[in-house]
Amino acid sequence: MAVFLQSLISGILIGGVYALIGIGLTLIFGVMRVINFAHGDILMVGMYLTYMIFTLLGIDPFVSVLITFPLMFLFGGFLQKVFINRVLDALAQNQILLTIGLGLIMSNTVMLIFTSDYKILSTSYSSATIKVGGGVSVSTPLLISFLITAAITAALYWFLLKTDTGQAIRATAQDRDAAQLMGINVKRMSIIAFGLGSALAGTAGALISPTYYIFPQVGSVFTLKAFVITVLGGMGSVVGATLGGVLIGITESMSAVYISSGWKDVVVFVLFLLVLLFKPSGLMGKSRT
Amino acid sequence: MNKTILKSAFGILLLTGLLIIPRFVESPYALHMMILLFLSVAQGQSWNILGGYAGQHSVGHAAYFGVGAYTTMMLMHSKNIVPWVGVWAGIAAVIVVALIIGSICFRLRGPYFVLASIAVAEIMRLSAINLTTLTNGAEGILATELPAFKLGATVVTDFVTKVPFYYIGLFLVLLTIGVTYWVQHSKLGYFFQAIREDQDAAHSLGINIALYKNIALVISAVLTSLAGSFYGIYVGFVDPPTVLGLDVSVQIMLICIIGGMGTLWGPVLGSLILVPLSEALRSNMVTDLLVKIGIVNADSKVGIFLKENLSHAHVLLYGILVVLVILFMPDGLMGFVKKLALRRKREAV
Repeated sequence: MAVFLQSLISGILIGGVYALIGIGLTLIFGVMRVINFAHGDILMVGMYLTYMIFTLLGIDPFVSVLITFPLMFLFGGFLQKVFINRVLDALAQNQILLTIGLGLIMSNTVMLIFTSDYKILSTSYSSATIKVGGGVSVSTPLLISFLITAAITAALYWFLLKTDTGQAIRATAQDRDAAQLMGINVKRMSIIAFGLGSALAGTAGALISPTYYIFPQVGSVFTLKAFVITVLGGMGSVVGATLGGVLIGITESMSAVYISSGWKDVVVFVLFLLVLLFKPSGLMGKSRT
Repeated sequence: MNKTILKSAFGILLLTGLLIIPRFVESPYALHMMILLFLSVAQGQSWNILGGYAGQHSVGHAAYFGVGAYTTMMLMHSKNIVPWVGVWAGIAAVIVVALIIGSICFRLRGPYFVLASIAVAEIMRLSAINLTTLTNGAEGILATELPAFKLGATVVTDFVTKVPFYYIGLFLVLLTIGVTYWVQHSKLGYFFQAIREDQDAAHSLGINIALYKNIALVISAVLTSLAGSFYGIYVGFVDPPTVLGLDVSVQIMLICIIGGMGTLWGPVLGSLILVPLSEALRSNMVTDLLVKIGIVNADSKVGIFLKENLSHAHVLLYGILVVLVILFMPDGLMGFVKKLALRRKREAV
């Protein structure tokens, strides 16, 4: 029972970060209908940014989120303005290829600058745990990152539901043309959406940097995970991505314990294929062709 | 009429040239470059049948490349089965894999199909890492010595030089181009293109979409697996990232994107650009050139930095090329050239 509880709790905690990654991707897809294959690489840029701030300025990774978030927002806005905006009306495969190309540029530029060595960001609490009782303990960095994730997700929900800009973004996601007719600047909303998506991915990168190896190719793992999460939740649904993230987190940690850690990613991908086959609209998505 | 004669004369000349190159070129490096070029053309051409003609943009072709490479290498390594027998086992394995993948992925369209194809290739890669008893896991399979190829008692070749590999590569190129040409000009090819242009319209015209998509996939997968087997025995080493990684899938697709999808010569053009460029970066030719011209001082910080790192970053070039091609010539180089020709024709009229 303790093992079960233990893996459930760590699944939920890591799932929080996954949710952040998934929400970013689903936001971008919802507003632009573009599948961002560079999502994991944006996360990787966030990881390196955090690493640099930590080694150069000595700022704690959980504090430096305050710097990473706005910087990554600007980075995402730049990508949208310069590249993605030009292919909004192009064929889906061209959009996919463009983002794959951007991802390759990011990971290989980082490799040129930092080489492909694995970097470790070790803080005083990197391997610290908190005992909960009943033989269950919680990793401190995971717990902190989960709390920050929860706060960011809550703030994001508030932003999307209560502010004018948030409502405009949701309107654009619902119907781009109608939103434009209502006087919403959809190009600007796209830039904000891509900026937000990138900021969320970058923040997720910052939050996992104390517990994860940092290397230029780390992104592709997270790109794939982000897809699994968003498809599971329903493409374009923020609530779905939140749920999907936590579900994938639990699935991973459970299958690592009960099957084997080598096969946990296979379990996730098989789950992904099953969802694609039997419920392609996802948990919270409306079926849409 | 004149044009066709000219075309076939050119083709025969080119082919004769390619056939006699190994007689005059002895440098193993030059032959190695040609073999890489052949491999790239074969890969691109195989993808083109499914992606370019049938319009199903698979980003998981590493699965077929890897299954071909692994099957041949595994049989040779553990069962001592010669590769030219193992190739057939690879083809059989890949047909089974392709049909399974097809039955799952072809229910999905557009971006969902792309995602599913990636997921399947990743499952194959992770399985190759985890099934250590079969595949030797992350260490990969090393088999440097090839048995001599015998017909009866006479030794045809013992694979000591690169020449036999050159001819196998050339054969693969001719085979894939031949198949593509046949696809382009047969009823089958028209069905593929109808599906690419409009699935629903093709369906309402009575084309069995699922069947023809699967046929396109099997043809494409078998050719890709041949290229994979060839890669395995040529390099003598396979491991999960080099034959089953996502990079492999992207690279295969890029050949067509850059050259032009759905055209006979697109993959050739794409390979002619990609292979020399990435080889130039990999072997530090670019840095040497910059030093020679005098832009960069070899002993300066920048020079040393470039020398050490540029060779690892040849994929960076792929990224830049893709972005440029998608933004400025979305139909690839072939499409770009055709557009230019059309414009000139119009201006002439």
